[in-house]
Amino acid sequence: MNIVPQLILNSIIAGSIIAFLAVSFNLIYGATRFFNMAHGTIAIFGGYIAFFFFKTLGWNMYLSAILGILAAGLLGYIFDRIIYLPLRKRKASGMIMLVASIGVFTALQSLIQIFFTSEFQTLSDISVHDRLYTIFGATITQTQIYILIMAFIVAICLIIFLKYTIFGKAVKAISDDEEVAKIVGINTNKIIGLSFFIGSGIAAIGGIAVGFDTGLNPTMGMKLLLHGISAAIIGGVGSVYGAFIGAFVLTFVANFSIFWISGEWQEAVAFVLLIIFLIFRPRGIIKR
Amino acid sequence: MKNDKNIIEVKNLVKHFGGVYAVNDLSLKIPRGEVVSIIGPNGSGKSTLVNLLSGMVEINSGVVILNDAEKLKKIKSYEIQDLSITRTFQEVRLFEQMTVIDNLLVVLTNRSVFGSFFEVHKKYHLEEVERMLQRVGLEAKKNQLAKNLSYGQRKLLEIARALLMKTEIYLFDEPFAGLFHAMIKTVSGIIKDLRKEGKTVILIEHNMDLIRELSDYVFVMDEGSLLAEGEPDSVLKKKSVIEAYLGK
Ligand SMILES: Nc1ncnc2c1ncn2[C@@H]1O[C@H](COP(=O)(O)OP(=O)(O)O)[C@@H](O)[C@H]1O
Ligand SMILES: [Mg+2]
Repeated sequence: MNIVPQLILNSIIAGSIIAFLAVSFNLIYGATRFFNMAHGTIAIFGGYIAFFFFKTLGWNMYLSAILGILAAGLLGYIFDRIIYLPLRKRKASGMIMLVASIGVFTALQSLIQIFFTSEFQTLSDISVHDRLYTIFGATITQTQIYILIMAFIVAICLIIFLKYTIFGKAVKAISDDEEVAKIVGINTNKIIGLSFFIGSGIAAIGGIAVGFDTGLNPTMGMKLLLHGISAAIIGGVGSVYGAFIGAFVLTFVANFSIFWISGEWQEAVAFVLLIIFLIFRPRGIIKR
Repeated sequence: MKNDKNIIEVKNLVKHFGGVYAVNDLSLKIPRGEVVSIIGPNGSGKSTLVNLLSGMVEINSGVVILNDAEKLKKIKSYEIQDLSITRTFQEVRLFEQMTVIDNLLVVLTNRSVFGSFFEVHKKYHLEEVERMLQRVGLEAKKNQLAKNLSYGQRKLLEIARALLMKTEIYLFDEPFAGLFHAMIKTVSGIIKDLRKEGKTVILIEHNMDLIRELSDYVFVMDEGSLLAEGEPDSVLKKKSVIEAYLGK
């Protein structure tokens, strides 16, 4: 049996989930120039909120997902207001912001553990079997098809949105020179706050996707984020388009590496790829 | 238009960096609707004054009074458009990764963030930007990234950006430095137009011919303080002024 079609599908599915993280990470990084280490856990938080409404309260699935996305967006926005914005005002360095976000990450992860326990929780309905589709001998579930379509729609919409709206131009200007952006009358703090809202919401779609695909646990946020950051760096830090490409480069290389080394090293391959990029092409595939 | 005589007054302004007093107990009044030049040797505090007036550095002590009324001990850079102030930089600062046209369009943003959210730039914004590009002779470059412009083109784009902010007060920090003749003509034309429109221009400049041609009044700074002031012809003849320049 030829495993290549299955490897391709697996790469695309994993890439789609990582893409949500990577694209949104780069949106926030573009506006703020710091590595937001809480980003993955905010994604997971969105997944848990969706879980709460859908599974605990038994609400409609789509409504629950939307509530999860909005809740994560709001949380990202609140963290910006009460933690990152005051730090920016004091001209804190990117390193200080990063450390602060590790604090946010730890606190949020603990809160999720308190409210939802450390057990694995899944958003998918176990009683109903996911429909399976076969393409060239490879299988994909209906859920996975939805995830993949969503990833493409979200990424394309975000790219178009940033390219054509006034908001998108303002984000780019802030990313280029925040001080001058202020001078020319751009309300930088509000624009950054909104980037947190949108970025955290998009990350939450990734978290919800994970919830449906494999299930959630409170500590998986960091692993998701590390993949997201790797993809973001490989694609080009700060570039939304690059992050999207980077997500798939990362998963394709990791999945196809099993031809040369044992599958348990996949994780390591992903980070070796990251290191190779950091050394030889630190600005990523899409140079900014 | 208000009748207040002085659009900006600076009183006992102090700014020091560690032990260096860049602006030292400076007091001056700038009348509305005039082109006022600030001259002085390198390091005399001219750029620091512009940085103070545009909120780029914090005031240590002293006040800035706008329109003979509004006393400010603190100026925040994101508020200067509301104070009707704009500026250019001695070392040009553009949005390097953005196209020439976007560098200008971004100034015309909707002030409410939610307004900016789904809004795309409107036709009249584009037309306004096109007109501005023509005025500074950059229409052919409009789709290039700002970082790919020549030195002079960069200066012109930065001036165009300031003009689009449509403020009452323009702070130009050495706008002519390093420009060739044609571009000097463009910039001096812009300053003359601003004066005709009743705007106030604070011009930092070293070229004496341009100062004579453009300015109504001149302040001479030295070591952060005021050395002399007056009409261009009389001030530029003063012995102390000539010495301050030659002494360096
Ligand atoms: N950000 C800064 N940090 C430290 N020193 C500064 C800073 N800005 C200006 N200075 C110092 O202040 C003095 C005045 O500089 P500046 O205002 O740039 O003078 P000018 O524009 O008249 O040439 C100089 O001694 C300069 O080194
Ligand atoms: Mg200077």
